Amino acid sequence: MGSSLSDSTNREDLHSAIAAFDTKPGSPGKKSDGREKIRLFLMRINWLAFVIPLLSITAGLAAWQFLTESQTQFILDFSNIPTPVNVFHSFRDAVVTTVFWRDIYWSMYRILVAFAFGSVLGVTAGVAMGYSNILKLVIAPYIEILRPIPAIAWVPMAILIWPTTEESIIFITFLGAVFPIVLNTWDGVRRVPNELVKAARSLGANRVNVLFHVVIPYAVPNITVGMALGMGSAWFALLAGEMISGRFGIGYFTWEAYQLIQYGNIIVGMLCIGVLSSISTGSIYYLKNKLVPWAE
Amino acid sequence: MSSVGHIEIQGLTLGFKNFGMVNAIVENISLSFSAGSFTSIIGPSGCGKSTLINAIGGHYKPITGHILLDGCEIKQPTADLGIVFQQHTLFPWKTVIENVRFGPIQRGIGKNDANEIASKYIEMVGLSGYEDYYPKMLSGGMQHRAEIARSLANKPAVLLMDEPFGALDAQMRTTLQDSLIKIWDETNVTIIFVTHDVEEAIYLSQKVVVMSRNGGKTNNIFDINEPFPRNKGEFLFSNNGRILKEKCMDALAI
Repeated sequence: MGSSLSDSTNREDLHSAIAAFDTKPGSPGKKSDGREKIRLFLMRINWLAFVIPLLSITAGLAAWQFLTESQTQFILDFSNIPTPVNVFHSFRDAVVTTVFWRDIYWSMYRILVAFAFGSVLGVTAGVAMGYSNILKLVIAPYIEILRPIPAIAWVPMAILIWPTTEESIIFITFLGAVFPIVLNTWDGVRRVPNELVKAARSLGANRVNVLFHVVIPYAVPNITVGMALGMGSAWFALLAGEMISGRFGIGYFTWEAYQLIQYGNIIVGMLCIGVLSSISTGSIYYLKNKLVPWAE
Repeated sequence: MSSVGHIEIQGLTLGFKNFGMVNAIVENISLSFSAGSFTSIIGPSGCGKSTLINAIGGHYKPITGHILLDGCEIKQPTADLGIVFQQHTLFPWKTVIENVRFGPIQRGIGKNDANEIASKYIEMVGLSGYEDYYPKMLSGGMQHRAEIARSLANKPAVLLMDEPFGALDAQMRTTLQDSLIKIWDETNVTIIFVTHDVEEAIYLSQKVVVMSRNGGKTNNIFDINEPFPRNKGEFLFSNNGRILKEKCMDALAI
């Protein structure tokens, strides 16, 4: 606000700026001309919210450029790290190759297949555990034993039990996705208020209809949170699988770049993973808002 | 008087068993609610009135005794026994009309017919125009009305109401009380109405059952012979009304 006031040189401008400031947007205030409207608009923008992150990133890039160019070796070794400009060049070179897009395609394909299986199985198991005490006692021990094992620790086992590498990578990714989904679904189903179930029963619903009309809809917000968390850990697991035993995929791309001394591509791969992972998690939250308009 | 909706309670004990010991909440009570009648149950909190109404609705199994609907034992919740709970129990993910038509659809009625039935009851409770609202967009009183409409849409023989107006302000309460009397008059449903408000009980019902703190053992029943429609102010401050109120208060104090 201060910056737009300081450039008003004469008193009239200052007064109109103050008047614009006093007039709340949308309220039927004084008749305002075009300039005042623009001024009002500019004053409403929270410049700091743009400027500070921008400055912060610029400073970070500058520091990175400086540290790598000067080949600093103080605790961390920057002598082998590509500069931001190099990374940009690597990116520019990579996006025109089919290999880059093929790797992205394979990673997305694995994520989708593994996540689809993880969602179906996770939601089914979670609902079963929440709705039936016997099934809970049957399933819960497995979850408690297997859940703490990081997906990466499954790599040797996965390679041994699945016929192809492709299947073992998908299996590891599935393991990453499934546990958050099971646990959150279970939690959502457990929280269904008894009164809602009783109301449905008194309206003539049987146990099956209570499940589909009350229990599962009630758990949908929890299920989507589980899916978003599951998506995050699925990417984590996928990368582990691809780096260790993959032949395609963005994780393989990143690891191969390291082995072939294409250091710029390491960072291109890393940034790509970040972007893809947030797009897939973001789309789940987008779907959630579409699915549960009643919850807002 | 309609012929369905007669509730008969015989030697009913409700509670839970703990290592073979019976921990009774309601002990050995017998009551009768004739078809098409309006009965209120009042009692201090913790006397088991909610438990009783849930048991009539088929949600609790008696330890001893029987609850009969038109001569048949109530074993589980059915669409004949509509309940309006103390808490809001509209399904938040369904709009008003989807909530109200839920019962008819569960009974296998087609969507179009169910919509027609739902619209009728939505109009009856004065919520026309709010069909496509989600429950959270409605005020507390409107949610209660939608809940009453949802229960009525099943054409239940009995409407069980568990302190439905407990959390409302006085004005909304009066409005809903008057709507309820009108609906009762139109539908001929048997109403069993639980409340802790003596005036509400006397104003609304034909019969007031007073439950005592120790398991409903010494319940008193008062007949309210005032004809309908009643004028709330006049009736409650008339001699008759005052005497009834005192009697109920005395019975509550036991």
